[in-house]
Amino acid sequence: MRTILSLIALTLLGSAAQAQLRVPFINRQPAQPAVQGIDALRLEFATQSGGSTIYFGTESSTLGAPARAVLSAQAAWLRRHPEVVVRIEGYGDGGDTRDHALAMGARRAEEARNFLLLLGVPSAQVTATSWGKERPGLGRAVTILVR
Amino acid sequence: MKRLFLLPLLLASAGTAQAQQPTPTATVIAVPPLTSPNSGSKGNEMLAIGWQAAELIGADLRQTAELMPLPTSRNEYYSYPEVTAPSFSKWRANGAKALVTGFVQSRSDGRLTVGCYVYDLEKGRELMRKGFVISPSDWRRAAHKCSGLAYTAITGAPGIFDTRIVYVAESGVGDARTKRIAIMDSDGGGHRYLTGPEAMVLTPRLAPKSEQLAYVSFMGGAPHVRIRDLDGANDRPLLQQGTMSFAPRYSPDGRTIVVSVSLNGNTDLYAVSSAGGPSRRLSTAPGIDTAASFSPDGSKIVFESDRGGSQQLYVMNADGSGQRRISFGGGWYASPQWSPDGEWIAFTRRGQDGRRIGIMKPDGTGERLLTRGTADEGPAWAASSREIIFQHANASGRPGLYRVTLDGSEPRQVTIPQDGSDPDWSGVAE
Repeated sequence: MRTILSLIALTLLGSAAQAQLRVPFINRQPAQPAVQGIDALRLEFATQSGGSTIYFGTESSTLGAPARAVLSAQAAWLRRHPEVVVRIEGYGDGGDTRDHALAMGARRAEEARNFLLLLGVPSAQVTATSWGKERPGLGRAVTILVR
Repeated sequence: MKRLFLLPLLLASAGTAQAQQPTPTATVIAVPPLTSPNSGSKGNEMLAIGWQAAELIGADLRQTAELMPLPTSRNEYYSYPEVTAPSFSKWRANGAKALVTGFVQSRSDGRLTVGCYVYDLEKGRELMRKGFVISPSDWRRAAHKCSGLAYTAITGAPGIFDTRIVYVAESGVGDARTKRIAIMDSDGGGHRYLTGPEAMVLTPRLAPKSEQLAYVSFMGGAPHVRIRDLDGANDRPLLQQGTMSFAPRYSPDGRTIVVSVSLNGNTDLYAVSSAGGPSRRLSTAPGIDTAASFSPDGSKIVFESDRGGSQQLYVMNADGSGQRRISFGGGWYASPQWSPDGEWIAFTRRGQDGRRIGIMKPDGTGERLLTRGTADEGPAWAASSREIIFQHANASGRPGLYRVTLDGSEPRQVTIPQDGSDPDWSGVAE
């Protein structure tokens, strides 16, 4: 859980482009500051989609049944919230080599993204990236609400 | 509890010390203090530099497997004419087979002339000589160049003493870990950081003349290859923003950078001009094609691919044609780098026994593992093609840098101020 929270903090401190993109969202809900708004959404997302993290077997990018169940719940939630944009961050395995782990993280994130698109989530709503083996923990993909 | 840990530690350090003993085949070389044609207080100043330079040359040569320098002694001062006319029998009597002489001369413009001469004592003849005009503060570089001259004269291979090592300096724990690019001389001197802690960075790779650096940065979120001058100027993304790219390596002429690009989960190799401009796709196979490295003549590229189900090494022509697998030793093979003399490909092998560093011929024959693992990766060649620097994580998972020679001796740890990973080793600057 600590992993996910710190990544959210990074997102909020992120690029100028993201800050600009958040503006219309604030305008639509003038009574609520953006941080509270997205925090509330994140909480709702986490509870209603069965979690933001899916796990993979070593050296595998195949979605197992538990991963597909989580992604299905995420897809349902995202279809109800077309205003939300998410980023899927893929992670490689600690025992992998540097470059291959980066590519493996990208492949896992893309597998998760493709599954969401297959279930009807518009492609503009989901981006994918990779951390390679730069963060400790098991091979996984984490869906992060960007805005 | 503490006492229990002491014993294995002592044993480990004893084993390392033993491995550092010179092999019987090493050439014994005498390195007496450099002399000076100057006299008076200026002469003393020059002799002091000559003394330090000889000690540094000895320290440099002691690092090699091929040369065994005798300790530099204050009783071995010789006159200026003896630089070019040494007493061969005297040095032979000390057990030496080779000799380095030289001088440090103060010039009227405030700079120094340093001259170096290498002799074969058995044949009684000069092998090589070289002179450098330097500012007084650069005497260490001149000494490193003398070391290189001696090494080349005796082994025929380029000396690596005046080279630099670039790597990723790591500190902090967990998600708060910072990674910065650092550079230092190959003997650990002149250590400095090239990037700050703001953005995570990986795999710095030096251009052939070390004037430019390609690396991976997470600046702005997604990993992408950036290039910058070594002095920090002109830092920019190599490809269009938003492209996930990594694993950069320069071509031998420095004009091309081969990178991996991930698009829709598929990773392929691309050749990009280091001056910017259009890129050329080199591989199209489904699967992860990455960690490309050019042959020294620039005509071929070795890379890793998992297109056949597991990571293996492949060689192709530099235009992407003629791709064929070369690794068949069992296990998985990754992060290859072609040696500067073209003879070998260093790699990381992943197997039951963890990750280990090894070498094989470019046709896949002659495979040999150089390290015991179990968490080694990222081999990078020295300009001599006789030594490899790599990353090794200890039992607690903390990564450090190690050097290993091809002669089968134990890897030696490189002293750095913090943890380190992803090393790259420069060529020899003229």
